[in-house]
Amino acid sequence: MPLFKTEKKPSRGPAGKWDVVIGEDMCKACGFCLAVCPVDVFAWRTAPNKLGWFPMYTAKENNCIGCMLCYQICPDFCIDVAVKPTLAAVGGSP
Amino acid sequence: MNKLAQKYLRPSQIPTKACHGCGIGMIENWLLQAIDELGLQQEDVIFGTGIGCVGRQTFATWGGDNFGATHGRALAVATGLKLAQPDKKYLIVVGDGDAASIGTSHLIHAARRNLGVTVICEDNMGYESTGGQFSPTTPAGYVTNSSPYGMAEPPFDPCDVVKAAGATFVAETTATQWHQTVKIVKKALANDGFSFVHVRFPCNENFGAYALGTRDTLKNLEWIYEHTQGRKADGTETDFTWETGIKHDASNSRPEFSKIMRDVNLRVRAEMAAKAAGAAAKP
Amino acid sequence: MATLDLAVTASLVAPWAEWERRGLAGRRLLEAGTYALTEGAIAAGCRVVAGYPITPATDIAEYMSKRLPQVGGYYVQCEDELAGMHACAGASLGGLKAMTATSGPGFTLLHDAYGWSVTNEIPLVVVDAMRVGPISGITGAPGQGEFYVARYCTHGGNFETIVLSPSSVQEAFWLTIDAFNLAERFRTPVTILTDQVVSDMWEDLFIPDDFDALDFVVPRKHNLMMPFYPVGSADLDVAPNVIGHGTGVCVSAYTHTEEGYDIEEMEAQWAQTYRLINKIRHNRDACTRYETLGLDDAEVVAVAYGANARTVKTGVVEARRRGVRAGFVRPITLWPFLDELYAADRHYVVCELNYDGQLVREVARAAPDSKKVHFMGKSAELHTVAEVVAGLDGVARSGKLPELPYIWTEVR
Repeated sequence: MPLFKTEKKPSRGPAGKWDVVIGEDMCKACGFCLAVCPVDVFAWRTAPNKLGWFPMYTAKENNCIGCMLCYQICPDFCIDVAVKPTLAAVGGSP
Repeated sequence: MNKLAQKYLRPSQIPTKACHGCGIGMIENWLLQAIDELGLQQEDVIFGTGIGCVGRQTFATWGGDNFGATHGRALAVATGLKLAQPDKKYLIVVGDGDAASIGTSHLIHAARRNLGVTVICEDNMGYESTGGQFSPTTPAGYVTNSSPYGMAEPPFDPCDVVKAAGATFVAETTATQWHQTVKIVKKALANDGFSFVHVRFPCNENFGAYALGTRDTLKNLEWIYEHTQGRKADGTETDFTWETGIKHDASNSRPEFSKIMRDVNLRVRAEMAAKAAGAAAKP
Repeated sequence: MATLDLAVTASLVAPWAEWERRGLAGRRLLEAGTYALTEGAIAAGCRVVAGYPITPATDIAEYMSKRLPQVGGYYVQCEDELAGMHACAGASLGGLKAMTATSGPGFTLLHDAYGWSVTNEIPLVVVDAMRVGPISGITGAPGQGEFYVARYCTHGGNFETIVLSPSSVQEAFWLTIDAFNLAERFRTPVTILTDQVVSDMWEDLFIPDDFDALDFVVPRKHNLMMPFYPVGSADLDVAPNVIGHGTGVCVSAYTHTEEGYDIEEMEAQWAQTYRLINKIRHNRDACTRYETLGLDDAEVVAVAYGANARTVKTGVVEARRRGVRAGFVRPITLWPFLDELYAADRHYVVCELNYDGQLVREVARAAPDSKKVHFMGKSAELHTVAEVVAGLDGVARSGKLPELPYIWTEVR
């Protein structure tokens, strides 16, 4: 299986259940997360961050299938991927 | 910052000094996962690092107690520190230069003594902090900053060295083997003895520039991936393949160094007490 | 030695002058300097010795390998001296008092470890039993070639050091306790410069019976909170840092902040250096130790430290008997250098166990008239009483040293 996926697959399965948070101020724009992600979640910002890099951001969070590859591959502790807290858990209606 | 970084790291040192695309931060993220999954708190773990990229970019990122020793001497410091603080978990995070070049003597003797530490030897196959000179782990024939005609010396694998010296846990992974590395580090930490985890990782700024002809972060990590799999993207074989996995597991099979020393003390004190009791019993 | 029946003042400025007068219960032994150094360290609370055997310090390794397990300590025989001092630094960081003992060829390997210990304010004691050099030199002869090396024990500048030197077996015992105390108070490695003679000779040695009752031993305390490194302050008696108590302390090879992580600002370099230099310079009184004889009216003063100070002192007494107004200065604290001992305008004859002249340069710098500072260098043997008398007599009469075989007199 290739490490980096230039062609993104369509999302299915557990898509839409994940919070994907990138600490954009800490991103050094290595591009690993975008390249390793099998689906279409990430995109580049067009304005630089405080470090001087154009960071990655979560453009399409709903496509995330929770494979965690981005979390594992980020060299700068920027990314957190977690199951969205369920509405039942927070006392709302589904 | 991700949650584990928030739990364990020192906020003032993040973002780290590492270059973009460097594997050091990735590996540290996996170390944090191993530490967290073992249920260890910040005060249970002491980080020791050295000089060079791995040393400097790791030093002080750990929020708990940590030391950055002189070049190659982290294990010498750990030998004394372990005697004074034997109950902590030690992660000695050093590079190929620090562990396998200038510090090889201490590496060998720490393995021989079965010092109870886990060495994470993060190997970018060169002295990248000083610009990309070759190191004892640079693949033969590769062009580097100080081997413009190709690395003439043969390299060695520090795993072989520590195994011969008596290490009780030896394993190798690469920067594209996150799950394996987390699992292996957990096993390494569970060994009350000398554990050596050798992780190959990319340096796109220097090694990539000289040896691979590109500073592209993706191409450099891909090179690591190819040499882990033994196959390039087009299906052809790579020039060499790293043998990854657990190479030697004799965990907890022989006494750990500080325990040996404590046992000597117990024996000597017992003999002294027996002698004193015997002398007291005489009329 | 000959009884001093002349009315000259003798003084010893050192804490053990008072310790000896306490009348502690103990025993008298005939023992070597290495034994005294070992027992002194144990009495001071040393619990880790890590090093590599080398003549003439090997006996310390052997004694320690026997003694330390008896008191719950650890003797670690390392792969080399560099590993030894680094291991001592690690042990000290973990909360145990530690010492390493070596000779010149091993001492030169310690620069790296010294630098790390100095910059991180780690209390340690390092014994260098000097011998004739360079390098292996003459294995079994005394030397004094590390006078400057001990001060400049690491590279990079921006630090002060404390270096002490005993000249008898009894003094080696007390001085070792003092060295550990100074290491704790100043948070620094303290170097004991001894030599083959003091290390190996056998003398009368009094050892107190109950080490735990020695209330003048400074105990190890732990610094558990910020600042770990009070940069910009010259305070004495700051507790040493400790690894393993969850304080989050950083111990670094780099110029560092109060927390201990690396920083590349000029202001931080200033602040760190302010502490490393001034904690010693501003508190010199706390580490000043010396011995003098007959300075009230001396016209020529012999200066020596360590083993050859014994024969030089006898030479001074003998010169006095022959009518020379001779005096004697023995610095026990070699660094920070005690300039004040050479403030008087008179002749100084510096007797050193080297031919290149090291102590003499500092005396010449400190004395008001460097033309009145004379050098009697000797190597591989102590100065004889006759040589010292001839030197003092010659300078008193004509202001110049006489020609003496195998005594080196040039400094330039």
